[in-house]
Amino acid sequence: MFSRKTALAGSALLAGAALSLLSVPALAKDVVKIAFIAPLTGGVSNMGLGGRNSADLAVRLRNEDPKSKYTYELVSQDDECKPNVGVQVATKVAADKRIVAGVTHYCSAVAMATVGVYHRFNLPIIVWGAVLPDVTYGNTYNEVHRVNGTMINQNEVAAKFMTGLGYKKWAIIHDTTDYGKGHNKFFSDFLKKSGGTILGTFGVTADQQDFTSELTKIRELNPDVIYFGGLTPLAVRIRTQMEKLGIKAQLQGTSGIKSDAYISGAGKELAEGSLSFIEGAPWEKLPGGLFFTGKYAQQNYGEPAEAYGPFAFAAANLIMNAVEKVGPDRKKVMAVLNKTNDVNTIIGKVTFDDHRQNIVPLISKYVVENGAWVLWEESSYGKGKRKLAGL
Amino acid sequence: MSLTVAAVAMTLYVWMFLHAESQAAVAVLVVLAASAVFASRKLGATRVMAAAVAQRPGLARALSLAGALVLIAAFHDSHFVLLMLCAVLLYATACLGLTVQFGYSGVANFAGAAFFGIGSYATAIMAAHTQIPHVLVIVLSGLIAAVIGSVLITPVLRTRGHYAALVTIAFGILFKTFIEVNDVLGGPQGLQVPGMKLFGVSLNDGIEIPGVEISFYVPYVLLSLLVFGLVYALVSALERSWVGLSMDVVRTDETAASTFGLHIARWKVVAFTTGNFFAGIAGSLYGMISGFVAPNNFTFSDSLLMLSIVILGGLGNIAGLIPAALIVLVLPEKLQFIQEYRFLLFAAMVIVILLFRPQGLLPRKTRIFFREEAPK
Amino acid sequence: MSEIGQYIFNGLMLGMIYAMVAVGFTLFFGVLDVIKFSHGDVLMVGAFAGLTASIAMTAVGVTSPVLQLLGMVLFAVGLTGVLGAAIAKFLILPLHKAPPLNTLLATLMLGTVIREAVRLFYPDGSNPKRFPALLPTSSFELGSMNLRVDNLILLVAGLTAIAGVHFMITRTKLGLAIRAVAQDGETARLMGINFEAVVLFTFALGSGLAALAGVMNGLYYNEVNFGVGLLLGVIGFAAAILGGLGNMYGAIIGGFLFAALQVLGSVLLPALIPEIPSAYKDVFAFTAVIIFMAWKPTGLIAEKTSERV
Repeated sequence: MFSRKTALAGSALLAGAALSLLSVPALAKDVVKIAFIAPLTGGVSNMGLGGRNSADLAVRLRNEDPKSKYTYELVSQDDECKPNVGVQVATKVAADKRIVAGVTHYCSAVAMATVGVYHRFNLPIIVWGAVLPDVTYGNTYNEVHRVNGTMINQNEVAAKFMTGLGYKKWAIIHDTTDYGKGHNKFFSDFLKKSGGTILGTFGVTADQQDFTSELTKIRELNPDVIYFGGLTPLAVRIRTQMEKLGIKAQLQGTSGIKSDAYISGAGKELAEGSLSFIEGAPWEKLPGGLFFTGKYAQQNYGEPAEAYGPFAFAAANLIMNAVEKVGPDRKKVMAVLNKTNDVNTIIGKVTFDDHRQNIVPLISKYVVENGAWVLWEESSYGKGKRKLAGL
Repeated sequence: MSLTVAAVAMTLYVWMFLHAESQAAVAVLVVLAASAVFASRKLGATRVMAAAVAQRPGLARALSLAGALVLIAAFHDSHFVLLMLCAVLLYATACLGLTVQFGYSGVANFAGAAFFGIGSYATAIMAAHTQIPHVLVIVLSGLIAAVIGSVLITPVLRTRGHYAALVTIAFGILFKTFIEVNDVLGGPQGLQVPGMKLFGVSLNDGIEIPGVEISFYVPYVLLSLLVFGLVYALVSALERSWVGLSMDVVRTDETAASTFGLHIARWKVVAFTTGNFFAGIAGSLYGMISGFVAPNNFTFSDSLLMLSIVILGGLGNIAGLIPAALIVLVLPEKLQFIQEYRFLLFAAMVIVILLFRPQGLLPRKTRIFFREEAPK
Repeated sequence: MSEIGQYIFNGLMLGMIYAMVAVGFTLFFGVLDVIKFSHGDVLMVGAFAGLTASIAMTAVGVTSPVLQLLGMVLFAVGLTGVLGAAIAKFLILPLHKAPPLNTLLATLMLGTVIREAVRLFYPDGSNPKRFPALLPTSSFELGSMNLRVDNLILLVAGLTAIAGVHFMITRTKLGLAIRAVAQDGETARLMGINFEAVVLFTFALGSGLAALAGVMNGLYYNEVNFGVGLLLGVIGFAAAILGGLGNMYGAIIGGFLFAALQVLGSVLLPALIPEIPSAYKDVFAFTAVIIFMAWKPTGLIAEKTSERV
């Protein structure tokens, strides 16, 4: 009875061991793994998927290049735009020794939470979408870089522009993550400097459903503009509920709402006239824009690249250039990235300052017109043919 | 002898499982385990094993400890595997607390993750803002979790069955929402938790032995193993003692218990508070290991996950907690393609278990009062 | 002042939805002594079913709002009715003999299964979806309040539904059968009532009501997302308990009571602590529930229980 069981167990174990050993893949010599982390599911998944496709495009193009010394593999992980999930996948990725560097995060809340993890494991990363300044300016970790701009410029331009149009009174709604709070802080400062008045500020949770309390109070306050610092899903709900309560103020958003999901979520009529401000230039104006758009279309991805796709593409290329130069060593790649100065990428010249932040001076203004985001200067509103709410 | 063989076999299996990379290897191992369990049940080997363990509990424990240490040594340089081991050990510790509450005393706690979270948050604040030595911080976090839990005692005691369930569910949701809207505790962004410092040495720096690369998680895993071992010993001693007996009677039949003079409220309070204490210290250590705590770690689904570990392992049988925790926590990491589906699969699994085998993997053995046969 | 009016109106809407969910809980408990925790997620399935019906009808070319509404409601109620009955037959009835906490746990897990299934298998399920606005959107002024016709329609529809269910339970033969089974299952069987059929029908009824609530929720917020069931389920459960499990009037009161707590929270708290985020109203409401449970463990209208010793 005994020995039969032991024999059975023993042989089964041996068989299993043999099988698993056989199926361990022999490591190909030149594969270098790069991580990509973004919200691939959830309310802002379109931005994450766009970024992933763009990074994937960069890797594919590089692998087709016969001159590259290594074969690159993109390991993508989903951070669900939640800080705790982000920390989990960041730890997973950073703990994996075969991953040399990462292109990480669209959500600022997640980026803020994970900087410590990358520093702990010495994994160099380049942020491609999070705009909170503290992600780079709030620490001295040499691992953390960023190619897109911060919300400081965005809000400064927005404040000047809106007061320039003639608006005087604002109500501010912002989500309570670091992202929303950052927007609130910077916009409030710049708005006061530009001469606008803030009638009330309201913090909301990032997954809040019902805004009746906030909007009822706002209706009493009667502002010209409602500024919303947060992401698309909330913006959709706020815009819809504004309509239900009969609030006629203009909705001003940040880069967080510049996505097609906002228009399809709120519907063409309600989305009409909403404003958004975003760092960088539209594709047609980027140096490598046409090239990027063309190659992207060729791959037939299921999702568009969205606003930050080019940044993800550029970040992936910066990493791969560094690996080509010094090999797949985390510390060496980090050193190369730190010294990035005037490097040509499809988004223009990239220089990392002493806090490893790329300075993107250009801010583009967008308005929703007839169901699509249009550059302000090219829209009927910008040309004076139509007027925004309250003007 | 059979114990040693079994211990070696299991250690080897877990090593292969944790080491396996490709999906095919993992699938093979899972099938292997399932068939081994099935076969051993048919062959009656489980009964032999159970008897052997009951006869030599000291040896069984020493072997499990040895097995665990061997595994840690084998994975000394893989960060992620060690992190998973920490998670398994600490979640199992919290589930030990839940077992005391639910398995022994019949007090359903649907806010297990909330108490885990209270432990982490208390640690985050104490470790970052005070100079209290970290070992004390862990104990204090557990106490804080227990104290906050005692707020719920009155409603829990006065209610029965579903009503009691509602109280803990409401608390879990309340806790998460409260932390989320409250900026003082970091809000939705969460808090960074400093790494542990033991006797002045920061564990985050890791140990350096020249020539051998040791992950800085190794001391953490050893510490988690220590905590788990202590709590496990405590809980099994509790179960065997008259305290455990009283709790069992209270669970089985309250009316009968009170006719025998057992003070129902007292035992329920003791069970509830002790369980929350264990969950709190587990959460505290886990917070220091992962370095981060946020309200989204402690949702209702996470509490349900803990309950599914308790049920899967066999309600009331603490030996089943580690295999159950391995299945619930490690399997989705290994079988990548089920990562997305893991909540779905585990919920479905619990339903199937509740329908067809409510005792779980390792059913709780009936309490044996006398070892020898009664005289005829 | 109109602020308060707006709050009250909003509270009425929410209370209506909560009441509908709570009535479902109470029906199930009355009939089988079980808490079917997946009820909230069944509501979500109803909402999604309505959405699918609307998409299908638009694709086929039927765009009249009245027809779409009708189709949506019929499909949602029908689908969830079947789902509810299936849950009863395959999960609840087999677990009837097991300890009640097992059923609670099983249905909690079932709720998770349903939620995850929709999230994973419905196209783009994890994103919130826009629900078509099918009700007339005109509004009129009543005093200084801005009342919208669609909200009024929803309110009236909800009241009618609850009144309809109540009528059915108290005045029809089927309702009599349900009440008989609720009171004493064994005797009801002795009297010739088909126990299983009645149970299945009750579950179908409760689930259909939930589906209606789901469609209403979708119409009110113009949005559905897969997570909406969890919180609504917990709130519905809390409301049913507040009012006393097994009592339909209690469930309705409980639903409106919970909404009132939330409204109270959103009005009171900012008065006490300025600039407090509105999410605190949930904290307030749940704390109130816990305190209430300590005071009245079996709800406002106490359950008549007897325990076999």
